[in-house]
Amino acid sequence: MSVAAEAGRAQTTERAGPWSRVTREFTDPEKRTAYIMILPVLLVILLIAAWPIVYAVYLSFLRILPTVREFVGVDNYSALFTDHTFYQGLLNTTLFTVVSVVLEFALGLGIALVLNRGFVGQGALRAIAIVPWAFPTVVSGIMWRLMYQDQIGIFSYWAEQLGIISGPVLASEGSILVGAILSDVWKTTPFVALLLLAGLQVIPADVYEASRVDGATPWQQFTRITLPLLKPAILVALLFRTLDAWRVYDLFWVMSDRQLESLSTYVFKFVRISQVNLSVGNAAAVFVFLSSLLIAFLFIRFLGTRAQEA
Amino acid sequence: MGGVRSQPGPGWSRRGLSRRDFLRYGGAGLAGATLLGACSSAEREAYTGHIGPAFSGSETVSKNTVVFTFGPDTSGNLVKMIDKFNKTNGKGITVSYREMPADSGQYFDKLRTEFQAGTGTVDVMGGDVIWPTQLAANGWIADLSDLFTDELQAEYLDAPIQANTYKGKIYGVPWFTDAGMLYYRKDLLQKAGKQPPETWDEVISISREIVGNGDAGYGLTFQGAEYEGGVCNGLEYIWNAGGDVLDPQDLSKVVIESDAATSGLELERRLVAEGTAPLSTVVYKEQEAHTAFLGGDYVFCRNWPYMYGLAADPALSSIKPGQVGISPIPVQESADQSFSALGGWNFFISETSTKKEEAWEFVKFMSQDSTQISFAINASLLPTKKKIYEMKDVLKKQPAVELAKEVTQNSRPRPVHPFYSDMSLVMAEGFNENLKGEASPGGTVTELADELERITNIGESVFNVGG
Repeated sequence: MSVAAEAGRAQTTERAGPWSRVTREFTDPEKRTAYIMILPVLLVILLIAAWPIVYAVYLSFLRILPTVREFVGVDNYSALFTDHTFYQGLLNTTLFTVVSVVLEFALGLGIALVLNRGFVGQGALRAIAIVPWAFPTVVSGIMWRLMYQDQIGIFSYWAEQLGIISGPVLASEGSILVGAILSDVWKTTPFVALLLLAGLQVIPADVYEASRVDGATPWQQFTRITLPLLKPAILVALLFRTLDAWRVYDLFWVMSDRQLESLSTYVFKFVRISQVNLSVGNAAAVFVFLSSLLIAFLFIRFLGTRAQEA
Repeated sequence: MGGVRSQPGPGWSRRGLSRRDFLRYGGAGLAGATLLGACSSAEREAYTGHIGPAFSGSETVSKNTVVFTFGPDTSGNLVKMIDKFNKTNGKGITVSYREMPADSGQYFDKLRTEFQAGTGTVDVMGGDVIWPTQLAANGWIADLSDLFTDELQAEYLDAPIQANTYKGKIYGVPWFTDAGMLYYRKDLLQKAGKQPPETWDEVISISREIVGNGDAGYGLTFQGAEYEGGVCNGLEYIWNAGGDVLDPQDLSKVVIESDAATSGLELERRLVAEGTAPLSTVVYKEQEAHTAFLGGDYVFCRNWPYMYGLAADPALSSIKPGQVGISPIPVQESADQSFSALGGWNFFISETSTKKEEAWEFVKFMSQDSTQISFAINASLLPTKKKIYEMKDVLKKQPAVELAKEVTQNSRPRPVHPFYSDMSLVMAEGFNENLKGEASPGGTVTELADELERITNIGESVFNVGG
């Protein structure tokens, strides 16, 4: 089918309204076959993804206790939004996400640009750079916790020698949060660097050559060529990292020994440990889901569209 | 995803949602859903069904096999005792031991999941002293009142019996017990010419003197982290100032908002704020506390009986057992009575078990004097029967039993309530905030009273706890 024909048809359907567009999708035999063929997969996705979500939303409107199961409307949500522990978790998660993602992106971009230059030992360096990311989070969490610990921790020892901190690092939530951000930056910067490096390597060299002929400075090359062409890779890296950081659970629990609250630890505590707050925990889980969806939407809206225009 | 689209087809841009966008939104949605799925109760309900069959498949459950669950058998004595029972019971009963997680919370979670799913293959459990009410209120463990008569109960220490009693019925048989105690450095106190302290003020003044002389770096170490052990410590400060959390006569009544409880928490905070205990105490659990004390730099340590055994191991301890003394947890005013938080483990029988009689045979065997003595000597577990504390030959072989005698008699259960795990969560947070100085002692008890009341109200509406 020709491009012109398709464009023309799209125009007619716009005039005729959305419904006829749907019917037209199904009158085309070729398309109908396609839809039938993907139908089983759609059903599986509905079953394993959509159903649990819908069910969790449904549960968040119930009051569930060992002998009680009743509809209570938005009570669980109002309990959630008046709980100061929830706000503590939200604040910690937000700070953690914003600071760690910004640092990881800045450092990751720098490392990617360096690794993208040809030099001796480039392959070995790339392999070494990825090592921290290969650690399971729980292992690196314990490792960092031991370093901050006041009895045997090297970090605490040096920090005290240098007079940077006065009290024990692990004793205040503020300093644990800083510690958690540092260990996350240490661990996942290589991941960001690797994603960005992959993006850098598909930018054709002739674009740079052409710009050099036109007299562009290295800075202009970076802002006018590298960054715009890297946008899809940046989108992927930021989206992955942000959603990952937003769901932070293991790092917080292991590093702070269950003291630092995040949205996910809040959900866990309420759903798994508590016997009376299951429904509020479900409401919190729904909140995490919707906020993740919103983050994903915003990223794609603001980074994705412009990448397509470019 | 990724890569610059080289030739955007005209048809694409005109549609509302391109295929690429659809995949992106869908992928992002799935990413979010992963978390939700992992945490929601929908999933919990879905997977509980598999736990029972998966376990029973790996076990040879014959007609007379009784399944017994407990954490790892670190001393090896449990397996020895089970073997002995299997060989000598004469009724053809075989006990099969299923190992559970060492962490009490994880073990409890596992049991709860199994009971909720109703796939119980467990007959007898070795369970934590804070579980009986939680399990009994849900009807998961059997009422043993007819078998474990008042007469038999009289042989046991009071606190463990109290902890196993819910609404006037007994649900568990105490196996071994645990109680908080104050360890002190005998040699350092002797050198300073001091008697073991009975009040916290004495702890503070003795610490100040000995640390001032340069014989120790710090006065006291205890468990202040936000977890179950921190709850036990906090409760001891409240009890030993004359306060309590729930009214022992009516468990639906919260009585924590009192001057006594406030001054107890005030003292706990003072110990850290004034430097008797280091600031890092607020993240210390048992292990950090015993490492600190056995390292030789502390005068006092609040810990459980197990620490005494560690002092005998030169690899773990730079001080010798002879340098260590044990006394009851100090009190606020000398008129107050000393209480220790009760720990320990008990035997419960599953309500759904079809082998209750066989299970009871096993519990009877495990509760014999000779079995308790064997665990005391070989595994350093403190007996729950009163008379064993009077047996000379046992005390000779296990000095910890004699040292612990007074504290086990003064032990007190944590709030005996079906929603104890929820109470523990809020108390752990409240006590820890107070210890860090983030909340005032008065503010802490007011807020705890509020949150605990919410829980007891639910307990009232669901289980009619007050009776």
